[in-house]
Amino acid sequence: MDETVAEFIKRTILKIPLNELTTILKAWDFLSENQLQTVNFRQRKESVVQHLIHLCEEKRASLNDAALLDIIYTQFHQHQKVWDVFQMSKGPGEDVDLFDMKQFKNSFKKILQRALKNVTVSFRETEENAVWIRIAWGTQYTKPNQYKPTYVVYYSQTPYAFKSSSTLRRNTPLLGQALTVASKHHQIVKMDLRSRYLDSLKAIVFKQYNQTFETHNSATPLQERSLGLDINMDSRITHENIVEKERVQRITQETFGDYPQPQLEFAQYKLETKFKSDLNGSILAEREEPLRCLIKFSSPHLLEALKSLAPAGIADAPLSPLLTCIPNKRKNYFKIRDK
Amino acid sequence: MEQANPLRPDGESKGGVLAHLERLENQMSRSRKQSEEPQSVQAQERVLGTKIQKLRHLRDDLKAAVRHRRGSVKACIANVEPNQIVEVNEQEALEEKLENVKAVLQAYHFTGLSGKLTSRGVCVCINTAFEGNLLDSYFVDLVIQKPLRIHHHSVPVFIPLEEIAAKYLQTNIQHFLFSLCEYLNAYSGRKYQADRLQSDFAALLTGPLQRNPLCNLLSFTYKLDPGGQSFPFCARLLYKDLTATLPTDVTVTCQGGEALSSSWEEQRASHETLFCTKPLHQVFASFARREKLDMSLVS
Repeated sequence: MDETVAEFIKRTILKIPLNELTTILKAWDFLSENQLQTVNFRQRKESVVQHLIHLCEEKRASLNDAALLDIIYTQFHQHQKVWDVFQMSKGPGEDVDLFDMKQFKNSFKKILQRALKNVTVSFRETEENAVWIRIAWGTQYTKPNQYKPTYVVYYSQTPYAFKSSSTLRRNTPLLGQALTVASKHHQIVKMDLRSRYLDSLKAIVFKQYNQTFETHNSATPLQERSLGLDINMDSRITHENIVEKERVQRITQETFGDYPQPQLEFAQYKLETKFKSDLNGSILAEREEPLRCLIKFSSPHLLEALKSLAPAGIADAPLSPLLTCIPNKRKNYFKIRDK
Repeated sequence: MEQANPLRPDGESKGGVLAHLERLENQMSRSRKQSEEPQSVQAQERVLGTKIQKLRHLRDDLKAAVRHRRGSVKACIANVEPNQIVEVNEQEALEEKLENVKAVLQAYHFTGLSGKLTSRGVCVCINTAFEGNLLDSYFVDLVIQKPLRIHHHSVPVFIPLEEIAAKYLQTNIQHFLFSLCEYLNAYSGRKYQADRLQSDFAALLTGPLQRNPLCNLLSFTYKLDPGGQSFPFCARLLYKDLTATLPTDVTVTCQGGEALSSSWEEQRASHETLFCTKPLHQVFASFARREKLDMSLVS
């Protein structure tokens, strides 16, 4: 086994927390059950890693096997990367998409290898009709850097792909081209949507975040469900603003629905608008050029936070459509100009 | 009364008289007391007596009231019983009606296209089926506004819903729904065939079934006699018409031997025709039957 491969596997295994180690190794399916049983996972991590490397050497792990382990680690730790969303389009009058996974993989790999010569491309298919692609980039003269790979998750027979954002931006056009040609599309465009939570991005892009539908079998009609107000049942207590509270709850429910919101960490608004003021003769109002400013909303769970603003009394209901349109428009980067 | 003794001296007689007066006074006060005591006692007796009578009255009244209440409750129960029976019957009738209506609404699922009005529009339910088997259901929630728009849906991402909506949703909603039904039913049918091939006829396959999300490109290798000496066949089925459950292009090739005997060539060609005209799992079912027939003929 190559020294670089051994080092690569060692560093990957060291990243894995001990409590996930057996799960990930089983998913990797490279070391056999018998081999895994010989390992004492209770010892210190360094010893466990040494033993595992030894077993990998016995089985002659290749670069491809190591890359696969890296993919599995990333699949378990998706949130460590920030994901961008790309949308592809076909030309008018295109044939029906007869997607062939083998053809796609071959085509994708060929395009990258023809352009760069030194590149490691690995694939892993998942059950939800998605293929994870790992690309380690080199140049014509240098070997691929295995420690700064790019990941692409492509949902076949859809126009969407998710890419981990990396600092090596010069390879992005080539990657886009490879993806477009291999999947038989014409164009690729980056969407204004970005997050660490791949599942939430998927839910927003495919509009799958609301999966409750009214049928004749539903037990409770949706309107009659309690709006979650904590009202004392004691009749001696009256709430003066109960009408207003109910109005706010109703509007919040209509805007955000009853389902859990997809998870985003921020929304960014780039404003390029002229200053608007009621006072005449203020210096800013006379300014011809638009003002430029950047507003960023951050939160561990932005959409849930926005949903709770009006019921908490911090903002008026209804909220600005610029905030509530985020999942619908599939954007969390906005550029606002005067019309 | 003792007469005063005139022979006693004044002092004595005074003492005598005074003492006498004193005695008389004491007598008077004693007798007065005696006459008072029975009076107060009597008064008290009288007061207590009236109290006792009042309490007795009260007790009698209360007893009477209790009796009256019990009687009226019994009367009430006696009155209510026939009413309650009538109510129970009505309730049963209503429940039966409700069950009937629910059953009718469920039966609409078998038509393939049903819906329910919502507060903002309608939620359409498309129930797919193939060869009499009820398969998956998909929902499209429409908002009735100008323009008509889809609020949310459960259609799989690889079905060209946006395309179909762009073509028909605003102009002809019937066409939109029927077109979507076509696509979804065809997809369900193709998926059903691929699933049945994988589950029921795995023995005849010599490798894994290659399929894509829309199930419109299937590629597999199979043998008519598993474990036998014959060469396996490679089949590649393309479904270019997404509204159809039968392939548009079929290629069957024979792995191995370059020179195919004419019988193999015949078989190959006949398989191609079979795959074009019959659903996939039915073709394999006929292969399995033929195999059994051959085996029984040999033995």
